[in-house]
Amino acid sequence: MASFARSSLLRQTLAAPRSPFCKNVGVSQTVAFHASAKKQILPPLPQSVQGTMNDPTPVPEAHPTHGSYHWSFERLVSVGLIPLTFAPFAAGSLNPVMDAVLCSLIVAHSHIGFQAAIVDYFPPHRVPKFRSLCNWLLRAFTLTTAVGLYEFETNDVGITEALRRIWTA
Amino acid sequence: MNSQKIAQQSLRRLAVQQPFAMRSTMMRSPVAILGQNIQKSYRTEAVLTKESRYRQVTSSPNTEDPNQILVQQRLRRPVAPHLSIYKPQITWIGSSLHRITGCALSGTLYLWATAYLASPALGWHLESATMVASFGALPLAAKILFKSTLALPFTYHCINGIRHLVWDTGRALTNPAIIKTGWTVVGLSVASAIGLALI
Amino acid sequence: MASLRTTSRLLAASRPMFRPAFARTYATVEPTPSEQPKMKTFKVYRWNPDQPSEKPQMAAYDLDLNKTGPMMLDALIRIKNELDPTLTFRRSCREGICGSCAMNIDGVNTLACLCRIPTDTKSESRIYPLPHTYVVKDLVPDLTHFYKQYKSIKPYLQRDTPTEDGLEFRQSPEDRKKLDGLYECILCACCSTSCPSYWWNSEEYLGPAILLQSFRWLADSRDEKTLERKAALDNSMSVYRCHTILNCTRTCPKGLNPGRAIAEVKKMLAV
Repeated sequence: MASFARSSLLRQTLAAPRSPFCKNVGVSQTVAFHASAKKQILPPLPQSVQGTMNDPTPVPEAHPTHGSYHWSFERLVSVGLIPLTFAPFAAGSLNPVMDAVLCSLIVAHSHIGFQAAIVDYFPPHRVPKFRSLCNWLLRAFTLTTAVGLYEFETNDVGITEALRRIWTA
Repeated sequence: MNSQKIAQQSLRRLAVQQPFAMRSTMMRSPVAILGQNIQKSYRTEAVLTKESRYRQVTSSPNTEDPNQILVQQRLRRPVAPHLSIYKPQITWIGSSLHRITGCALSGTLYLWATAYLASPALGWHLESATMVASFGALPLAAKILFKSTLALPFTYHCINGIRHLVWDTGRALTNPAIIKTGWTVVGLSVASAIGLALI
Repeated sequence: MASLRTTSRLLAASRPMFRPAFARTYATVEPTPSEQPKMKTFKVYRWNPDQPSEKPQMAAYDLDLNKTGPMMLDALIRIKNELDPTLTFRRSCREGICGSCAMNIDGVNTLACLCRIPTDTKSESRIYPLPHTYVVKDLVPDLTHFYKQYKSIKPYLQRDTPTEDGLEFRQSPEDRKKLDGLYECILCACCSTSCPSYWWNSEEYLGPAILLQSFRWLADSRDEKTLERKAALDNSMSVYRCHTILNCTRTCPKGLNPGRAIAEVKKMLAV
């Protein structure tokens, strides 16, 4: 009985059309999927699963300097930027000390922001070299920016005053 | 094995509870019913054990490692479409704009500050006086265009940044609030950017 | 058992509309006679693992809405029953408690059984698998990694000290209330697969669903491993790839709030 059932099942499967779409009555049309034809956005690697189904994914080491401390620092910088961003609109421009504080906060904020973008879009297991290139480029540019802003603050009128003059020119 | 036991047990129970019925069944087909059942159950059991034994045999003619089938299949799987098909919503469109405007503003600052640092060596003039002079020489429409392209990312990133900081305190994190504040940020940033451009 | 199966197949052969697998659904309804047919096009993502070299395709199916039940799952079941038996998707409870039929419908992740078919017959409905998942077949995503991540947060009560009276671990109604909006999660993966951060970093970032579960155990007054749980999250990838995009909260078919749960996790980690 069981063997009879199996053979009939086999026959059914063999009789079924090999292509899933071509012979189906209900399908009025099939279209090649549009996004797969173009270049993929941040394509991931082919799927691979580490360990068996029942293993948990590995838990990373605790690194508060990259985790909670980093997050809190970023929030502090952002909160600090709010008054410094709005003060020049009220006062016209900032005094050199406040201007320097604003510049350093902006550089820190930008650096963290760019870093987050690199970590998000260039995972080390997919593009390890490009990621480290980006990281080194970012460090270099942050350094030149910091020095450039220092030069501008010391030798020129300062960032808020310069922007005010350009805006009203 | 189990089914045999169950058949025996039920026969025994039948014999105890209804001896007459039992006798009549036995008389009609003494061994046939029982025998058929047992035979059938034996056959299916034999098939099952054969199959389960097959799975463990290592010297089967099929040398393909069954564990590798899934691994190979996984390597060929496509990734379901994402950015291109997800419905544009204020949540993720707003967030991506936040990052884009942030990168654009910081990128401008980085490029300008680096160029300023390198300007003595390259002979460029990026001092405030020259910049003010060259900007002042532009026609009014170009001035407004320049100002608004700079002001809109700035206002959006600032105001949306405040929204993010409010979220980080755990407030305004409900669906209606997310949508309402999202569009408020868009409106405020456009309005303030127009205001800044017209100063 | 085998003989039983043959009987049911015979039944099915004599009545083609009556298929044993979907016999108890209301996907197909009897139309009222005077109504005009309301034809709507459903475009469904198809990919067959038996033809891995073929690109994924969108197959279009036309259904009369008068003969179809109200939900997207009804439409899918009708397509499978009556138009194309090769269409593959997961479904089980048809009432939004199992999370099997999570998919992307008209651009938003939701459960097909809780999603009404838009009655506008002019626009077509597009159905995709959960975004940025590896596709097993058609609308079936591979959630192995998702479940492995769930396991990694130790989703169970961890406690060493017994209660004073040796009875069960009790909590006050106020403490129990903290778990409302967390314990209802059915792990359908709608929120995680709606999150762009999870799209780009699903290897290490835990994603909204798992973080909501993480918070469910962090918030539990009976759990004693809060410090260990926090340490396991305190790195750059597990939590902090969340940039408060909030697609998760927007899309949750159960009306939960993974975004707020992650914000609470961040607050707990920060202090």
